[in-house]
Amino acid sequence: MAEYILQARNITKKFPGVLANDHINFDLKKGEIHTILGENGAGKSTLMNILDGIYYPNEGEIYINGKKANIRSPFDSMRYGIGMIHQHFMLVDTLTVLENVILGLKDQSFFINKKQIADKIIEISDKYKFDLKPFAKIWQLSVGEQQRVEIVKMLFRGADILILDEPTAVLTPQESEALFEILKKMKSEGKSIIFISHKLNEVMEISDRITVLRKGKVIGTVNKEETNPVELAKMMVGREVLFRLQRKPLERGEEVLKVENVEAYNDRGIKVLNKIGFTVHKGEIFGLAGVAGNGQKELAQVITGLRKATSGKVFLLGKDITNQHPLVIANSGTNYIPPDRLKVGLIPNLSSIDNAILRRYRKNPIGSGILVNYKKAREYTESLIEKFNIMVPRIDAPVKLLSGGNMQKLLLAREISENPALLIAVHPTRGLDIGATEFIRKKLLEVRDSGMAVLLISEDLDEILMISDRIGVIYEGRITGIMDAKDADVHKIGLLMAGSTEEESATVH
Amino acid sequence: MIRFEKRESTSTSLKILIPTVSIILGILIGAVAILLKGINPIKVYQALLIGAYSSKYTFSETLVAATPLILISAGLIVVFKMNFWNIGAYGQYIMGAIFSSYFAIFWSPHIPKVIMLTVMVIAGMVGGALWAIIPALLKAYWEVNEVISTLLLNYIALFVLKFLMYGTWRDPLSHGFPLSKPFPNNAQLPRIIPHTRVNLGLIFGIIAVFVVWYLLKKTKFGYEIRVIGENPNAARYAGMNVAKNIIIAMIISGALAGLAGMVQVSGIIHLLQIKINPDYGYTAIIVAWLAYLDPIVASFFAVFLGGLASGAYQIQITMQVPFGIVGVIESAILFVLIGSEIFMRYRLVFDVGKKKHSGQEETL
Repeated sequence: MAEYILQARNITKKFPGVLANDHINFDLKKGEIHTILGENGAGKSTLMNILDGIYYPNEGEIYINGKKANIRSPFDSMRYGIGMIHQHFMLVDTLTVLENVILGLKDQSFFINKKQIADKIIEISDKYKFDLKPFAKIWQLSVGEQQRVEIVKMLFRGADILILDEPTAVLTPQESEALFEILKKMKSEGKSIIFISHKLNEVMEISDRITVLRKGKVIGTVNKEETNPVELAKMMVGREVLFRLQRKPLERGEEVLKVENVEAYNDRGIKVLNKIGFTVHKGEIFGLAGVAGNGQKELAQVITGLRKATSGKVFLLGKDITNQHPLVIANSGTNYIPPDRLKVGLIPNLSSIDNAILRRYRKNPIGSGILVNYKKAREYTESLIEKFNIMVPRIDAPVKLLSGGNMQKLLLAREISENPALLIAVHPTRGLDIGATEFIRKKLLEVRDSGMAVLLISEDLDEILMISDRIGVIYEGRITGIMDAKDADVHKIGLLMAGSTEEESATVH
Repeated sequence: MIRFEKRESTSTSLKILIPTVSIILGILIGAVAILLKGINPIKVYQALLIGAYSSKYTFSETLVAATPLILISAGLIVVFKMNFWNIGAYGQYIMGAIFSSYFAIFWSPHIPKVIMLTVMVIAGMVGGALWAIIPALLKAYWEVNEVISTLLLNYIALFVLKFLMYGTWRDPLSHGFPLSKPFPNNAQLPRIIPHTRVNLGLIFGIIAVFVVWYLLKKTKFGYEIRVIGENPNAARYAGMNVAKNIIIAMIISGALAGLAGMVQVSGIIHLLQIKINPDYGYTAIIVAWLAYLDPIVASFFAVFLGGLASGAYQIQITMQVPFGIVGVIESAILFVLIGSEIFMRYRLVFDVGKKKHSGQEETL
């Protein structure tokens, strides 16, 4: 079995309430680039963190060069020759390349021989055409260069197996191309590479073999030559028979939201919205599908005023709301269920009352003058709890004690009770159990029937297909296609999610 | 193996247990320091209790020391609630004393007392608030760490005070001592308990406690402060103006510290000098934390720590124990209190011999 440098057998990892990895088997050949493909939450990162020693599996074994390995920490994994390059770099900005490379190495003497180390860094750098200067400070480097420092760090430590966790997520297309050249070069030097991604075009370009994960399980391992993006998309999102929830026939009304040529940058200064444009109408659910990190989060932030659009316009009911204050936008009829309920939508340490009135404390009757009428606030919260069947230990208990489903119900209740013209829901059912998921989806359909315009942004394709009236697909910050839900299917959307345009996908059919 | 596990919620009993243990440990650590001087700590603590609470007069001195602590801690609670760490009550207190003293020193002694004192109260609050606005603006608009800016402004305030006391504000009749001229009667806060130094400042303190309590519990401002302190992302999402709230909260906090400075010079010392006890600004941090940021509970802890200070004056004379011992006890209390925060959020879990994985491994 010397052909395999790394084998994982029956890896199982449980987190409270989640089976992140379910008896996963995975083999890495010497000198291959092996991609792990899967949606968010499929278990890719968990598996990689197990190989890197950050997590310890509940079950299963790892073999390196045919011998059983006990990896309990990143230090152990390093000794086995595994080096992981995280999506968010583990570099110290104010130190030099050289200092970052030797950071944490235990075999350095008290007086560091910088010359010798610098020579070795330059040697590695030249071999793979990294073009790195050992004495440059990290903050002076571009993101792509910083990533190369991470790679050098691992090679310096003698890594034979490199794990790259969504390395292109932070790169520009040109930087990604350069990275691929480096990866191919490393492959030819005999390094083995595990490449994690959910971008199908990249995967097709770089991989030798591809293992697809879904919901913690291995769906299959295929050779690149024997597959195509359509098949991969199908494997990734599943083939379950989809059923559509009961709904009234569409009464598509006036235009509520119009996004026109909007451009915006993410926190890292990379352009993530690229002249995006679409409309959402009264009485419809517009589902925006797409792989994570293609600008969905930023789009929702731009519409709600939490992020600046650098160009383009956003109209709500014909009124220009581009770059208005979040409060102005909320008051003109937009409510928003943010993707991360604990970090943005709710205040975990405060009570259900304090959380329920977040949109109401300024308005009569809960807000009066400079005061908050907590008696009214309590009554209002009680009415939400009853109407939405939210289970709370006590109404005064901090909401962090609620289950995920009940937290989300409270958040949804708060937002749709404002009866906005437009509701933006981002990953509204992520991490919820089946009961809560169904409840939330039914509520979204209910408000749609009552005439609200709903923009549903989700990575869960099943969800999009199940409740949307129209479906748009976002890829690299632009819309690659818009279709009626009844004309949509997984193949077509999967292709658009991978970046082909609607015409291209039509010809594949 | 012992490990920490995140707590879902903090029990009320823990909220009582931790301050109690902190105080006991503080007192024990103080006892060690006293023992090192070769004195029996039990006798010292006995004398301290007698010195703080035994008679009407000694208790009145405890209230005198508690007054600035009540005022300052009430203000600190407002900013601490929003996770803004104002360490600068010391400097805000000094500025309050300076601003109010200006009128006592330079205005006519014949101005009616009500007008003079009203002006001095306002001046003290403005002085403290102005000093507090500086770090608030720095934080709100340039994200300058407020711990550093408030702390450094303390030294500047102290040197401003020294500059004035060795300069133009020194009384020509003070024989070169850095003292201002004594405040005339119209600039002295009236006493509210005869034959003691307890003055109107205590009433200000009680009013401040209830105003702060009301602000936090009943107003929109109090609600916004809570949300911003617990989750600034949610605050922005709900359209709250975080910068504005930081500034308002610091104005309140600084004004109350400034008022405490005014009360001290106008109600107790009756002149401006270099030693006006600005350390109350630090002790009030301990008061606020012992009370878990509840202004009403804090006023009781202010009386407790005030008693420690006034009792210490007694033992300094009767037992030859240096006053500094109070500083040792206070800092030990704060140290233990902050150290125990981890027990509020995590519980200790002992798992003995629990196997967390299956299969046999080969070790390297």
